[in-house]
Amino acid sequence: MSPSRKPRTLAVVADRAEPDAPLAEQALEHADELYGLARHLCSTTSDAEDIVQETYARALGSVARLAPGANLRAWLFRILRNCFIDQARRKKVVLEISDDTVGERPATETWDAAALDQLRYLAAADLERALATLPHELRFIVLLDAQGFTEAEISEIVRCAAGTVKSRLFRARARLRAALQGGR
Amino acid sequence: MRVGQVPAARERSSMTELDPSPAEAEADRLIAAALADHVRMPAPRRLREQLARQHLSMRKSWRGWLAPFALGAGLAAAIVLLLVRPPASDAVIDEAVGDHLRIVSAQHPLDVETSDLHNVKPWFTGRLDFVPPVSFVGDDEFRLRGGELAWFLGHKAAAFVYQRRLHMISLFVFADAATRSREETTARGFHIITWEAGGFGMALVSDVAWDDLRLLEVRLRN
Repeated sequence: MSPSRKPRTLAVVADRAEPDAPLAEQALEHADELYGLARHLCSTTSDAEDIVQETYARALGSVARLAPGANLRAWLFRILRNCFIDQARRKKVVLEISDDTVGERPATETWDAAALDQLRYLAAADLERALATLPHELRFIVLLDAQGFTEAEISEIVRCAAGTVKSRLFRARARLRAALQGGR
Repeated sequence: MRVGQVPAARERSSMTELDPSPAEAEADRLIAAALADHVRMPAPRRLREQLARQHLSMRKSWRGWLAPFALGAGLAAAIVLLLVRPPASDAVIDEAVGDHLRIVSAQHPLDVETSDLHNVKPWFTGRLDFVPPVSFVGDDEFRLRGGELAWFLGHKAAAFVYQRRLHMISLFVFADAATRSREETTARGFHIITWEAGGFGMALVSDVAWDDLRLLEVRLRN
């Protein structure tokens, strides 16, 4: 996560661009972001569409529970995560976080100028393959990071300690580096 | 172990090793930038329409009342636009998006595929009846991929292709005597910036973010 990103908390942040616009309208502005993340978690487009639909049904059905001034965007992603886990349970897909330790970093990991230059022009397919090597929970966290959420916001979304988010992000990044270095 | 659970002992030991080396941090930064691009994925129109139907029904009710008036106003506006606005503008947008799609979806390499502008520009000699006023050779952020012959408004045009992370950006240079003011447009999800340079029409088109496209425009104009 970029160090320049300002830490925010869900309780005090209102990310509503138009405070007077109806909540449903504001929520639907995040449809692309939610779908983009869902598409990288689910194996099919129809599964991704299903959990986005379910996310909105749950969110807008219980909108009264959203505190005034709360971070609507983070709240939607939290619901999306719950919908994804529920869908996996229904489909009997086992979701486990990596059991690897931080010491999993590849022994031969070296990033010289040429290797870094390769990363500047990554092919989408290579990135997709690297993402697919991550367990779902690590993939979810690293994708939230890519969506611009702070570590504090991610910890609220996935309901775990900030330190846990930090260590999971570290592991996810190490795995991505390993996958992308191995792919060359 | 359930989703989200990590052994406490491992969590504690992890915290002491969370500092990547400078090179790893740079690799992380580049991967994060690529991921930020990659994670953007527009929801299918069908899904958006379903969501709007399900959750904006209240608004639809008054929209329904206003629909006939809106339709009338829209038609009137369209007629005014057709009368006042030069028709070439829409044609340029259509051609820019169409040609950009043709380039990015082509199975074959570009007509001239090189990151050296001094090889790309001479390639157009004899193929075009003008010299495209392009001097930006590309850099780390916008790598020149090459060039291709295009057709604009029934005339041959030059296409320069740049790459920004995972995104392709096409710059079309076409003979256009008409002075056109700078315009920003979005069509079919693509962002397009058009302007005039030295009597030529320029059209920059891509699915990159507006800020990225404007940044390239600045470099092309310098």
